[in-house]
Amino acid sequence: MSQYISKQDLLSWLGKLRESHRLAAPVRVDDLVLFKKVERVEDIALDFDNTTLSPKEFFFPPTETLFYADRKDGQVELVPAEVTEETVIFGIRPCDAKGIATLDLPYMEEPGDALYQQHRDRTTLIGLSCIKACPECFCTSMGSGPDDASNVDIMLTEAGEGYIVQVLTDKGKAIAPQLAEKDVQAPPAPAVTPVPSEGISEKMREAFDDPYWGRLADRCLHCSMCSYVCPTCYCFDIRDYNENGRANRVRSWESCQSPGFTKIAGGHDPRADKGIRLRQRFGHKLLYFPEHFGTMHCIGCGRCVRSCPVNIDIREIIQDVQKLGAQK
Amino acid sequence: MAVEFEPRIVGFLCNWCSYAGADMAGTSRITYPPNIRIIRVPCSGRVDPLLIVKSFQMGADGVLVAGCHPGDCHYSEGNYYARRRFAMLWPYLEYLGIEKNRFGVEWVSASEGKRFSQVVTSFTNEVKALGPRKAEALA
Amino acid sequence: MIEEIRTKARELLESGTVDCVIGYERATDGINARPLFVYDAAGADRLIFDQTCTHNLVKYLRNRKDKVTGIVVKGCDSRAVNLLISEHQIEREKAYIIGVVCPGIVETGWNKKSDKLRDICQVCRQHTPVVYDFLVGEPPASEPEVEPYPDVAAMEAKTPAEREDFWREQSSRCIRCYACRQVCPGCYCSECFVERLDPLWVGIRIAPKENEMWNSMRAFHLTGRCIGCNQCERVCPMNIPLSLLNRKLEKEVAETFHFQAGMDAETPAPFATFEKDEKIGIGE
Repeated sequence: MSQYISKQDLLSWLGKLRESHRLAAPVRVDDLVLFKKVERVEDIALDFDNTTLSPKEFFFPPTETLFYADRKDGQVELVPAEVTEETVIFGIRPCDAKGIATLDLPYMEEPGDALYQQHRDRTTLIGLSCIKACPECFCTSMGSGPDDASNVDIMLTEAGEGYIVQVLTDKGKAIAPQLAEKDVQAPPAPAVTPVPSEGISEKMREAFDDPYWGRLADRCLHCSMCSYVCPTCYCFDIRDYNENGRANRVRSWESCQSPGFTKIAGGHDPRADKGIRLRQRFGHKLLYFPEHFGTMHCIGCGRCVRSCPVNIDIREIIQDVQKLGAQK
Repeated sequence: MAVEFEPRIVGFLCNWCSYAGADMAGTSRITYPPNIRIIRVPCSGRVDPLLIVKSFQMGADGVLVAGCHPGDCHYSEGNYYARRRFAMLWPYLEYLGIEKNRFGVEWVSASEGKRFSQVVTSFTNEVKALGPRKAEALA
Repeated sequence: MIEEIRTKARELLESGTVDCVIGYERATDGINARPLFVYDAAGADRLIFDQTCTHNLVKYLRNRKDKVTGIVVKGCDSRAVNLLISEHQIEREKAYIIGVVCPGIVETGWNKKSDKLRDICQVCRQHTPVVYDFLVGEPPASEPEVEPYPDVAAMEAKTPAEREDFWREQSSRCIRCYACRQVCPGCYCSECFVERLDPLWVGIRIAPKENEMWNSMRAFHLTGRCIGCNQCERVCPMNIPLSLLNRKLEKEVAETFHFQAGMDAETPAPFATFEKDEKIGIGE
């Protein structure tokens, strides 16, 4: 016997949540599926593979003001930005939920990012497990899986005409609706194509000086798309803006792949070379982050594979690095 | 009492001809609407199309560029290049949703004080008739 | 067609005429293409050419300035070569151009098979490269008579308010990944206007106002320079119809200056020249 909700009841539950929270869910926008604030629950896409952009934008927005500086009576007053809205994200895939848990590691490591923490505290995650796997997904090789419920507050699994519901945390309990009991089994988790990630960090270290990276970077356009669609990439740039006499310190997404990313005062750029710049991405994903935080910096969602205009494919790179590292 | 809409117009005037023309209007005590905020540039060829779009984004209801008559440019050719650039910018701005009459290019010489005031008066009236740029307008 | 390209590539590499041939190979989804840099004759076997070969490889030529590079180009790509030569960014002698008479490229997407020609390819009138050292394929007897700018005309037919709403919606989608700029052969400024801090034209904030400034003015910087490969629109992850901006300016340039970018390497671009007595609809 499982806790169960019919599709109809699901939509009316979400409609109710909309009234007290900001509800974000996957919505069709032309040919894309994107997480958007829901205006009508009928707009929610329930049959999608995954969204183009990851849900990290609800914790690490593309643009965010960190604080304001006002001038009052000849004094400067710093006004920190605050997150006040309560948010519910519906339809987050297990891989993306692991992505958020992975983002927690740098952003909540002492001293911790105050705004990120506020977003996290004020957001509840309703997951939707995967009943089919895309050919480019490889979550099982990156510590997750299509039915991995470890990083959400409520997990839904499609079964029959509705969903099996697992309420997993106190946050989940606080918003959970009335649930029926139904004798229904979860469908078997779909098979996910594996990628040889075992021991990749060591192999990455050994392949560090290989000319492979220069050759790979030949076709890279350094367009930053991989970093922007990635659920776990977290680099940013900060600038101060003056708006109507009020200073805003603004943080925006940036990417280590962007050509000027490592330009420093005096004009020197340690990663001016394309190969070195591209190596940095995979070094971070497969070696430096795991070394520091104990987990891969990739969750196998496949977005970079789908989006890269020149088919720089992390699955292919992992296979190549395994072979390269083995040669050393 | 309702406040009548007064457009905010940014004017890029070349130093040698049109700015001098505006100056002549002033010394001759010829009046023209005060809506225009004049920015002096060395040549109309210096006016980057980015300046025009940025002006609209920062709240201008209209943007006027004034330069020397073609053939009389103080730097010989600056206004020829400007003419080409603005010939492409004008339909492009309209394509982006900025009504055609909000952007104007006029040639005014240093002795044409009266003409300057006529140009500014009619431009201001046209922009006034269009009303303010929408509050949530992007550019 | 493929065998001719491979044979020529092998010959160029073996003879040392070039140190690299830039072409296409199959991507990891088994359906699409991706750029390939071949450095040794044996690698020439990986080269392919078909209707999924959408990329404009001329983008990579500028980085290889000091060496002679072989490159596979389609009709539109070849115009990018002329553009870069006319702007003194590459030397004609440093490129060995393998021109391919283009059959038209299909709409590509990860793991998607399609027979539908890209919109831009449906109005193409330059299937044969305009510059090449070696030509693969039969040039068509004549180019098709097509309505050149139906998409732009449809946009022009809307009211200014409708267009403003349209561009506002599109601008709100942009994530400023700059893929459009990075893929464009015409975008090569060492400091892009978005990176300028003084004056701060755009800045780093990712918001509709800044996004619209970015997209509309990048297109304007390509006035009379854009060769219409439409890679910018293809790579955009948010499906923003950037071609509607570039092609509007292409249409204006064609109608006012009777000029098309990249048809040869000598004719100066419209903004780089002038005619004293021309009447072009401004300041009159």
